[in-house]
Amino acid sequence: MAPLGADLVIPALALGFAAYFFLSIADLVWEAKANGVLIGAILVALIAVQLVRMGIRLARGEGDLRADPLWQPRDALGKRIGMVAITVAFIAALPWLGLTLALLLAMLAALRVMGVRRLSTLLWVSSAVAAAAYLLFIVTLDSAFPHGPIERLLAALFA
Amino acid sequence: MTWDILLDQFATQFGLWWVILPGILLGIVVGILPGFSPQNTLIMLLPLTLAVPVEQAFAFMVALYCANHLSGGIPAILVRIPGSGGAAATVLDGYPMTQKGQAQQALVLSFVASVFGGLITTLATLALLPWLSQIGLYLRSVEMVVVLLFGLTLIAVIAAKDFLKGLIAGFFGLLIGVIGTDHIYNAPRATFGFLELYDGVPLVAALIGLFAVSEALVMIEQKLIVAVEGREQAKRSNWSETLEGLRISLQKWWHIVWTAFVGLLIGVVPGAGASIAAFVAYQQSRLWSKHPELYGTGIPEGVIAPESANNGVTSGTLVPMMALGVPGGTTSAVMMIVLQYHGMVMGPQLFTSNPALAYGVFVSMAVAYVFMIFTILPLARYMSRIVLIETTYLVPIIILVTIVAAFSERQYLFDMGLALVFGVIGYIAHKTNYHVTAMLIGIILGPLFERYLVRALRISEGDLMVLFSSPLGNTLWGLLVLSLVLPFWRTWRQKKALAAEQFGEES
Repeated sequence: MAPLGADLVIPALALGFAAYFFLSIADLVWEAKANGVLIGAILVALIAVQLVRMGIRLARGEGDLRADPLWQPRDALGKRIGMVAITVAFIAALPWLGLTLALLLAMLAALRVMGVRRLSTLLWVSSAVAAAAYLLFIVTLDSAFPHGPIERLLAALFA
Repeated sequence: MTWDILLDQFATQFGLWWVILPGILLGIVVGILPGFSPQNTLIMLLPLTLAVPVEQAFAFMVALYCANHLSGGIPAILVRIPGSGGAAATVLDGYPMTQKGQAQQALVLSFVASVFGGLITTLATLALLPWLSQIGLYLRSVEMVVVLLFGLTLIAVIAAKDFLKGLIAGFFGLLIGVIGTDHIYNAPRATFGFLELYDGVPLVAALIGLFAVSEALVMIEQKLIVAVEGREQAKRSNWSETLEGLRISLQKWWHIVWTAFVGLLIGVVPGAGASIAAFVAYQQSRLWSKHPELYGTGIPEGVIAPESANNGVTSGTLVPMMALGVPGGTTSAVMMIVLQYHGMVMGPQLFTSNPALAYGVFVSMAVAYVFMIFTILPLARYMSRIVLIETTYLVPIIILVTIVAAFSERQYLFDMGLALVFGVIGYIAHKTNYHVTAMLIGIILGPLFERYLVRALRISEGDLMVLFSSPLGNTLWGLLVLSLVLPFWRTWRQKKALAAEQFGEES
């Protein structure tokens, strides 16, 4: 039995987005929405065909609505959710901690989630990545990343 | 153009090796890192390029630009993360080669195709400049709609295994590509209330999310990128692998040549560029191949075609700038600013008023490519070792560093979050066989397609028949239909032959 539930996620996302797209362009003049209407209509038609195809397979008993492929293998699921959560926390903390410190802490957490246990390895890999990012983005490229305590301290030291 | 000027320029440019080599090295670094574009790097280096003599400034900029086009394929092959949009098609066969333990070979194929593709088209540009400069004038919005449709047909090619899923992914991408304000009335569409989306979906964030983040989330399941047999081969890799890559490249020389010309012709069209050229070359390569079913499984032609084409673009994009004074892309616009700062007036008069500089630009490009092959080829053996790093370390580095790189294009924190969203969508697509490359093609082509379609419709006051109103456009339509019909016709013939064979055996 094929787990067809997972196959529904992308069409559901696409359908939801197409519906929102149509709503957002409802009041616009024709030229501003012609391309979107054309593409959206084709997308909806393609999804309809896919749903019919899946419906036939379900009716024949060739599949069910399980979505196993999305969380299999189970032992990787925790790491996967952990990595997404750490990335969200990293982006959220960036304005307060600055690039270098936020990246250092995020790397430490991410490596720990991935299974690195040796403290020395955790520290040197995280520090190397954070230092490289500092040198490239802050020192060399002078990007507009938020500055935190490390950037301010180093700026004061080398001013 | 006289031979004296050319020979003199070759001698001068070789003498600028001390400018070209740093340009190449910087271009390679910028190309490997997703989110870093040559134009942004050149903008940051403007204080330097404006301060030095124009010949040196141009040699440096051209070397950086060409090396950038070459090195975007390196992460695409090794870790399935294209360094730029132009290398997205390289992923299709480059990464499967890596998984088979042929990373070193794939890198060599990519380098040789890039260098020789770039070199051949640069020399061809020198010879054909007066004629090439006219192409941009013939390709108007109507013809561009058809050229972009050529790119879209790649969705069907990629989706060969599940046609419908590929098309859904592609059209989903196209609709995402329409997000933002429209080109005529500036009316916002599907921006979810975010001002950051008024300019459309940032391509770098989409690229990083769909490829880098999603791939890293899938990578978690394995200890290493390569399979067991591939791991052993990667450990044993030596110079013979490089030589084998060179041998295959020589064997496929014609493939390098014709796909490079696809890149050159697309590069000449202002606004087109490396992404479209690479995808169209890949699609055409598969179309005319004797074994199209092998594309996507890790074959040399699948690496050669996009890499040769995206370097064929390099000389092409400079043609409208030099010959017409119209920059073919953002990078050439930055170069044009430097030239104008030094008092050079672009356009046809440049070739009479300052032929040494006009032709020198292309000679500089040819020389940069010659230097590049000797600089980068020996590195393939060492670069390919990256596949032996455990995913325990690769996954956090890929996700966090590429998310940081998503900031580089527009300097918005919003883009980092957007890259993560695309990463999750890409992961789901990956796991359920909705091809992320088809989605990316849609996102790349969406805004361009709309721009040219709306322009054509505006000229014709809404009459769709304008799309069939020019002889060149109609010829392109014919070729497009042929591109779509030929694979089906070929499959039908193969089935027929197989059936006849089986019938013969039974009787």
